[in-house]
Amino acid sequence: MTEPAFDVQLSLVAEAAGMGKIYRRGAEEIHALREISVAFAPGEFTCVLGPSGAGKTTLLNLLGVMDVPTSGALRVAGTTIADAGRVRLAEGGRDRLRRENIGFIFTEFFLLPTLTAVENVQLPLLWAEKDDHSYAVELLERVGLGHRLTHRPTEMSGGEMQRVAIARALINRPRLLLADEPTGNVDTKTRDGIFDLFRELNADGLTIVLATHDGELAARIDRVIHLREGRIVEGA
Amino acid sequence: MEYLRLALKNLLRRKTRTLLTLVGIGVAIAVLYSLLEFQQGYEQGLNAEINQLGAHIMVVPKGCPYEAATIVLHGGKWPRYMEESYFDKIAATPGVSQAAPILMDAMINPATKDNKIFLGITEAYGTLRPKWTIQGTSFSTLEAREVILGTSIAEKLRLKPGDTFHLRQDAAGRAAGKDDADMKVVGVLERTGSQDDGFIFMPLHTLQSIFKLPGKIVVVLVQAEKIDGASMEQTTQALRELGGNMNIFPLSELLNNASQLMQVTKVFVLAIVLVAIAIGAVGVLNTILMAVFERTKEIGMMKAIGASPKDIFALIWTETILICTAGGLFGIGVAVAGSRGIEWFLRQAMASQFSQLPETTLIGISPGVILLCVGLSVGLGVLAGFYPAWRASAVKPIEAIRGAN
Repeated sequence: MTEPAFDVQLSLVAEAAGMGKIYRRGAEEIHALREISVAFAPGEFTCVLGPSGAGKTTLLNLLGVMDVPTSGALRVAGTTIADAGRVRLAEGGRDRLRRENIGFIFTEFFLLPTLTAVENVQLPLLWAEKDDHSYAVELLERVGLGHRLTHRPTEMSGGEMQRVAIARALINRPRLLLADEPTGNVDTKTRDGIFDLFRELNADGLTIVLATHDGELAARIDRVIHLREGRIVEGA
Repeated sequence: MEYLRLALKNLLRRKTRTLLTLVGIGVAIAVLYSLLEFQQGYEQGLNAEINQLGAHIMVVPKGCPYEAATIVLHGGKWPRYMEESYFDKIAATPGVSQAAPILMDAMINPATKDNKIFLGITEAYGTLRPKWTIQGTSFSTLEAREVILGTSIAEKLRLKPGDTFHLRQDAAGRAAGKDDADMKVVGVLERTGSQDDGFIFMPLHTLQSIFKLPGKIVVVLVQAEKIDGASMEQTTQALRELGGNMNIFPLSELLNNASQLMQVTKVFVLAIVLVAIAIGAVGVLNTILMAVFERTKEIGMMKAIGASPKDIFALIWTETILICTAGGLFGIGVAVAGSRGIEWFLRQAMASQFSQLPETTLIGISPGVILLCVGLSVGLGVLAGFYPAWRASAVKPIEAIRGAN
């Protein structure tokens, strides 16, 4: 069987072709993703919908180059990560690519409790050896937390903490924002507020891939990819 | 935001744990600092005291030479005497530049610590003390009932030149038939900073007469013409050939022997300190490793937002080096702040091994020792932090984050 090749479109933010991911647990093989072929164009807002264990997080991890595929091809931000199941970009290169092009948002906010909101937002700049305090402040104002700059996570609500995490994901001016169940830990009202923020960011041209099992949320997003048992069953 | 600040904030998250770890390192470093300072202070103090003695060789009656040396350095009673006539032979020995006979006696009252140490001297003693400045005059004759007081004892007795010093024997002295005497204070020494400040000096023959020790002396201090190794050896040998029941004791030997004795103690204590430091290092390793395990998800997040394994290694390593350095500085601070107390304790604890320690400051502040202790603390952090930093850098972001979800 020949490996699928890229339908080369250099303008795509991310593109997978016949991509698969197998985890090995002892002798057992877990097929987390099978034959995924999907592309994300600049400015797209895509929802990856599926039940728990469908492979949503695995897909986001691969798109965020936190992990590498075991088969197929993957290209992110114009760089080939893997081709014909072989990794083409070493770990150091993947770290740099992630740092420069990708923003991550998790269900848990993962804010550092000893840092203020603005310091948490600036954290990724530490690894990029940059400092841009005024942009961090601008982002916090953008997510509606201009009055919370020097507050610590313990002094904030869940929704506020997730907004800080969103600002942190944006500090490196990413091309692709990956959000894994970003509203999983907040109430419905807060969820709607955060979703509106994603909408605004997307309207500004940011490419967003949001994974969720919340059908109600997915219904509000233009493009929905249905994942089930590691396969795209609809919307590729 | 920089690494150092982030590392510091991380350490402050678990204040109690960080503080306890820091104190563990601090105590070990404080002990090490005190020990090294003590060793240095002891050697310098002893050296200074021997230099102040102004002599190169001591001639004392047979007996323990170290005990004799201590009596000579600090004053006191020693029940062995030699004949004054022996002194002339010593003074005439080739290689001897100056020789000063001394007789010593003391009234020691351990209860009140109201000690009076008397030195019977001749004008030769003055030649060993070129820097002496006497307010008043020197003795008129070798038999005169006159005293020169060290500045401390003069202040204590509230006496000045022209006053009368009433020498009253204690019960033991009276039982031994020693005389009381009223003596004229002819001079008071300006402060020398040495043991001389506490002595009561009188002419040799006067002391012999009052204390009923006719023709006796306790020690002859000898200044050699040349002090290089070969010349000293020759002079010492010439003095030994004089015969008599004497110990000829070069003071450099005293210094060397005392240093060697100290060295043995130092090695032993150093071994204990190193064990304490090793325990401290394991404590640090444990603390940081626990922190790494607790923060696995957070480390995964850091990697997800762009930190490389090298960045994570550097962060955790910085935290460890920071805690060890802070512990070291804390320890040095405690040792410096508590140096008086520690010195007092060491003096009490070591009193039986070193009958009299130098009276100079034993635990001071030396940049060299501070640098050594700081360097050791940093080195400790470098070593203890390596494994936790490596573990943290190897955290797989997906597994860490998945563990959270």
